Amino acid sequence: MTLDLRMAWRNLWRHKRRTWLTATAMIFSNVLLIFMISLQLGSYDMMINNTLQAFSGHLQVQHDGYNHNPKLRTSIPSVLALAEQVRQALPGAGVTARAAAFALASSELRSVGIQVIGVQPDHEPRVSTLPGLVQEGRFLQDPDAAEIVIGGVLARNLKVTTGDELTLLGSGRDGSFAAGVVTVVGIFNSSSVDMDRSLAEIPLGYFQDTFAMEGHGNSIAISTDNLEQIPAASGRVNNIIAGQDALVLLDWTALHPGLQQAIKADFSSAWFMYGVLIILVAFSVLNTQLMSVLERTREFGVITALGIKPSRLASLVMLETALMAAIGLAIGVLLGALVALYFNAAGFSYPGMDEMAVRFNLPASIYPSVSVISLLLGPAVVFLFCLLASIYPALRLFRLRPVEAMRAV
Amino acid sequence: MHKSMLWLGLLFLSSSAAQESDATQLVRNAMDHWRGLTSHSNMTMIIHRPDWERTMTMESWSKGDKQSLVRVIEPRKDAGNGTLLDDNNMWTYTPKINRIIKVPSSMMSQSWMGSDFSNKDISKSTDIIDQYDHELTATEEKDGRLHYTITSIPHEDAAVVWGREVLVVRDDYVLMEQQFWDQDGILVKTLKTLEVEEMGGRSVAKVMRMSKTDTPEEWTQMTANSIEFDVELANNVFTLSNLRNPRQ
Repeated sequence: MTLDLRMAWRNLWRHKRRTWLTATAMIFSNVLLIFMISLQLGSYDMMINNTLQAFSGHLQVQHDGYNHNPKLRTSIPSVLALAEQVRQALPGAGVTARAAAFALASSELRSVGIQVIGVQPDHEPRVSTLPGLVQEGRFLQDPDAAEIVIGGVLARNLKVTTGDELTLLGSGRDGSFAAGVVTVVGIFNSSSVDMDRSLAEIPLGYFQDTFAMEGHGNSIAISTDNLEQIPAASGRVNNIIAGQDALVLLDWTALHPGLQQAIKADFSSAWFMYGVLIILVAFSVLNTQLMSVLERTREFGVITALGIKPSRLASLVMLETALMAAIGLAIGVLLGALVALYFNAAGFSYPGMDEMAVRFNLPASIYPSVSVISLLLGPAVVFLFCLLASIYPALRLFRLRPVEAMRAV
Repeated sequence: MHKSMLWLGLLFLSSSAAQESDATQLVRNAMDHWRGLTSHSNMTMIIHRPDWERTMTMESWSKGDKQSLVRVIEPRKDAGNGTLLDDNNMWTYTPKINRIIKVPSSMMSQSWMGSDFSNKDISKSTDIIDQYDHELTATEEKDGRLHYTITSIPHEDAAVVWGREVLVVRDDYVLMEQQFWDQDGILVKTLKTLEVEEMGGRSVAKVMRMSKTDTPEEWTQMTANSIEFDVELANNVFTLSNLRNPRQ
């Protein structure tokens, strides 16, 4: 075996330039794949985080059935105390209690049906980016004040601005009439027309009062620093709510089922492009190896005449390819990792991206994710396809006839 | 030969026309019977859900097809909340904030006072007369009285949400059942009369229950405690100021 290995290694360097050219193709495609895949995985993380940070958070405690069919009565008792308990258990995370109801909001001139969310003014900004998007006026401060923050489109539709009064009309938790007069203190622009048109936030204390909640709320939203912390956080929260059968903890895949599907769809369509790149590299390897087998017909004829089995020759050719692919893999992963690490630290952005990011209240650049998967997935597939490409040249050796081969030019 | 065919055709035409006008007349009579020229009533509404139930007592006035006023009397917490309907416009008043709010058309399909009736059910109940074509589809005898089943299909350009309504009217014009079918031919909800009683000089549906087909354990029941027809009503009953400050 060591003899074969040594022979394969020497054979490779009989044509230095050709070997390096083929290896360079592999290195190039590996670096490209590593960069693209780590950027892609990084952008998914960003996409997930941004979607979740907009409003829902990474995890939510809810009453069973609320996610499927949100109703005011499907609620969590003593929601503030439970939220405080969760907050103590998760020191680094943002935890906020909420309640949500449908209400008719009316100004002097217009009436519109909206979703009213009761939020904790102190804690909401740690979970949702919405408070940071208030462009006119300010976010809520006092947990019991008759104040409201509404979206820009809603403000336009109702023809109100900060300082104006709105009346809210809906049904309370006990079915009674819920009504309140609130002052608009802030107007947010989230760039999501849906949110800007039909969402409003009022302090949770005032909400509970107006909608006869008796201390109940509808959800506790939890925002962790990153996606990796979700399992640990879930474990702790599940311990807290274990005693209450009616409560469930939902993670982002349950809160946003569409998001995960979108990511899967995007990932598989990206693999189509990667596939084209990998197949091109594989063909260049096939070409090189076929050439190197054909030009050694005479040499192989002599060796076979001396009694070496074609299978050993075939494995020799495969070994040569494997060595070459290993060089491509090693150098490719090394360079690719350097590129990914650099952008992971410095961030990657393209012209126009920061403008967009400011509008959506997002970070201005993508940070490629550096992990075993993002670094090795692409190169491993390239390595595999190169080996597959060398099967055909290797198989040709089984058809070699020593006498004819020795006479070949 | 030709002549007899013509006669036959004419006979057929006139009979189907007569049948149609009969059905329309039945619906018209049922609505008039239920409403009277004017009416004044006291009702109890029960909103039933699997895990809770809520009872409200209300007083209501109506005049003709277009005007009505409903005001909550009990529970005390909600007393004074009211709804005024005038020619398909709807206003609601809440004493808690002392405001009158006009209900926008986008909210008409929302539930009325948290019940299984929508704002539209409350406000547009006479649409059935002028926005639909009526056809008598069955007649049967039950408890010694004739029950007419009428299928009503909206005019092509009618601004209504239902694809079809089916009404069962008793021969004394009491509406026994009203089914609401959507445009895909699925029964969405049914209003059923559970009890008929002699009140205010005529037989009226005393207890009616509205329930949705896919959630039969959720329903809203209206019970008429007392009802008077053709009462004298002041001119200012159906005004916004009366909605806010009751005078009668």
